[in-house]
Amino acid sequence: MHLPALPNLFLADLPPEAPLTPSLVRDACISVKRNRTQWLLPRRTSELVDLIAYNADRWLQLDYPLRRIALQAGAAELGFSTPTMARGLDAFFRQLTHDHLMGWITQDLGDSRRLDEFSAPSAELRHGRLALARGPELLAQVAAGNLPVSTLSLMVAGLLLRSGQFIKCSQRSTILPRLFAHSLAELEPKLGACLELASWPGGNEALEGSMMGESDCLVVQGSDAVVEDLRRRMPSTCRCVAHGHRLSFGFVTGEVLGTFLAKKVAERAAIDVAAWNQLGCLSPHVYYVEDTGSLAPEGFAAALSEALARLENAEPRGALRPDEAAAIDQRRSLHQLRAAHHRSLHRDAITVPRGAFFEAPTAETQVWSSEGSTAWTVVYEADPAFRTSCLNRFIYVKPCRNLADALRRAEVVRGQVSTVGIATTEGRSQELALELARWGVSRVCPLGRMQDPPLAWRHDGRPSLAELVQWTDWEQASS
Amino acid sequence: MATSLVEFGAQIRSRIFAFAASGKADFFGDPGFDQLARSLFRLQFEANPAYRAWCESHGTNPDNLSCWQQIPLVPTEAFKEVDLTCFEPGAASTCFHSSGTTGHRPSRHWHSQQSLAIYEESLAGWFEPFLLKEEVQEEALELRESDGRWAILSLTPPPEVVPHSSLAYMIGTTIRRFGAKDSLFAGMLDSKGDWALDTDRLLFALRRSLCGNRPLILMGTAFNFVHFLDLAEQRNLRYRLAVGSRLMETGGYKGRSRVLSPEVLHSELSRRLGVPPSHIITEYGMCELSSQAYSHAVGGKPERHFRFPPWTRIRVLSPETGSDVEEDATGTLAVIDLANVWSVLGVQTGDLAIRHDNGFQLVGRIPQSEPRGCSLLTV
Repeated sequence: MHLPALPNLFLADLPPEAPLTPSLVRDACISVKRNRTQWLLPRRTSELVDLIAYNADRWLQLDYPLRRIALQAGAAELGFSTPTMARGLDAFFRQLTHDHLMGWITQDLGDSRRLDEFSAPSAELRHGRLALARGPELLAQVAAGNLPVSTLSLMVAGLLLRSGQFIKCSQRSTILPRLFAHSLAELEPKLGACLELASWPGGNEALEGSMMGESDCLVVQGSDAVVEDLRRRMPSTCRCVAHGHRLSFGFVTGEVLGTFLAKKVAERAAIDVAAWNQLGCLSPHVYYVEDTGSLAPEGFAAALSEALARLENAEPRGALRPDEAAAIDQRRSLHQLRAAHHRSLHRDAITVPRGAFFEAPTAETQVWSSEGSTAWTVVYEADPAFRTSCLNRFIYVKPCRNLADALRRAEVVRGQVSTVGIATTEGRSQELALELARWGVSRVCPLGRMQDPPLAWRHDGRPSLAELVQWTDWEQASS
Repeated sequence: MATSLVEFGAQIRSRIFAFAASGKADFFGDPGFDQLARSLFRLQFEANPAYRAWCESHGTNPDNLSCWQQIPLVPTEAFKEVDLTCFEPGAASTCFHSSGTTGHRPSRHWHSQQSLAIYEESLAGWFEPFLLKEEVQEEALELRESDGRWAILSLTPPPEVVPHSSLAYMIGTTIRRFGAKDSLFAGMLDSKGDWALDTDRLLFALRRSLCGNRPLILMGTAFNFVHFLDLAEQRNLRYRLAVGSRLMETGGYKGRSRVLSPEVLHSELSRRLGVPPSHIITEYGMCELSSQAYSHAVGGKPERHFRFPPWTRIRVLSPETGSDVEEDATGTLAVIDLANVWSVLGVQTGDLAIRHDNGFQLVGRIPQSEPRGCSLLTV
């Protein structure tokens, strides 16, 4: 999308008819690297942290012009309603405080000074060892199309590491990375000159070859096929950090399904379904609900449907493309049919010639959905097998006896699960977290925060800053 | 009004037959269609328990139905789930399955001799005006068999080898009805059970038609034709089929060959076989229906605006609201098919289409609901 209000700073700002060529991309990479050496490399961590935090503060102001463009144009480009977009942006920019940023560096690198000077935590110091971490000279990023904030988060990481950056945006969502880059350039044009953004249809070997040929580190977010394809073409001088697609689910224990608490739990569950319209890897596909509570799993599904209906008023899902809406419509019909079939079997076993041709699925199914739109759908299925949702606020609720039972059902997606959101009592949470960790989940969080990971979270179970740096160890001569 | 499905079936058959004979579709004008559709709905509601359960869940029954547009539509996916049939157990002899990738549960549409007779009438009644239309090609006319039958060459395996394929059955029917004695099936199953070309038979039939300068009707799926193109490339084959030859291509690829856009497929076929694009007709059909749509009549402009026969109606529905979309807008395609006598007449397809005044244009399949970029598992 061409934004007339913004100056042409980046390749992505050029009108769509302006052709990108491999040499244009290569030249851009080279000048970013030159600018980085001159203007970014000498900066101190504390300065950069302050600058990022100050910028985030501006983004949180309701009248900040770039925020307003993001909410309007972003909703148009990405299909999120303005409140959904605002909630997602606020959650992200609220994280970018001085404390969180310094905490992130300390967590990942062991000491907050490690990007500025040789330093070490005390255990290493005792052995006379110091280390300095260096970010990539040119950090290239192939961004995913579904969610904008993971791209922004990596841009922040790149800044902290003093890396020049080349961001290949998804064609479907260039707007937020561009606006974020403009906000940085507005504060400090020299910083903006250490960034480049462009977008082209993925798989363009010539353009991607130019980009990878100039970078020393490439972060890819996308489908496994995209990751594989890029890895194959990557020169040996470039290191690859890949984040393939992951999925997530929720788990609700029986203890929190008392009459009063259940409503709150359902509200939090609804927030996770609605956040970024469920399009991220951290969004739940299924809620497994223990059948030991005073509210049965079906009852929880009903409560969740009420919460989603309320949320639709405050934070509408927004319009979908016909194919996305049709996918929901088709999936709904299928489950409605199963529900009708199940009811008729139970009402009058004689009317349906059972086993006449082949056995139809007979597990109980119930469907709750928005009237006259595809805005939200809750499907309760007694069949506990894990199911992937068609997303855009379409969620499954399934019963289970306990966590071990749920994990058995989720075995098909083991190794691909990012986050499990849990609603439980304090007493059980530790035991559950341990069980989930041993099963291979990379993040456990309370329900209601699934799409809202802290800045320093370990993406796909890997420390995100530490993953990007190169170290220089210095073993001091013993005195 | 028909009081039984047997009676209704006989009525529909005779009306389709009358249409085929006269080219007039008066019986299926709006009032006639509405009456027939409502009468068939009542009979199916009574005889088809799974459909009745579906209708009741929508609060629809024969007594509160006021026009055909209110007939509850069954998604094609439902044919994978339940038996949508009016037959008593044991009364159905044939079952058409949807094609799909291995491991997927197919749709099932049950048939008996009775329902197949209607299927055949429906198929022939619409096939003829679109595929067999004669142009003023005196030379070709003379060279065709004196009984007016056509040399038909199918790239699919024969129906006895693939008894669950409605397409093979359809082609078998056209050969029985319109085919010359030497019509043949040049498809087979390979060692993995996938459809493949029987190269010797295929090349034999092509060469025979060339030698005799007899026009040929070539029928098959899109991937069958891609297999042919691959063969032609490999052996450097290029033919100029006799004037008046025509192709009928149908269906998707299902991962069985490389995928070509319809434009590329047609222009390649045109180049390799010497058949003009006006003589390459695309068929749109599925095992859940008993009628087919065609992109254009042979010799006409290849517009790719599909049309179903007069004993059907199409609806293009907004997936958001479920109501009919405006002209030129995109939505889910649904077909109300009066020839689907023994199953359900209202079928909602898994395809997106653009509504036009004289038919519809296909946009594509509704994406199967997998998380973006992942193909971890399917429903």
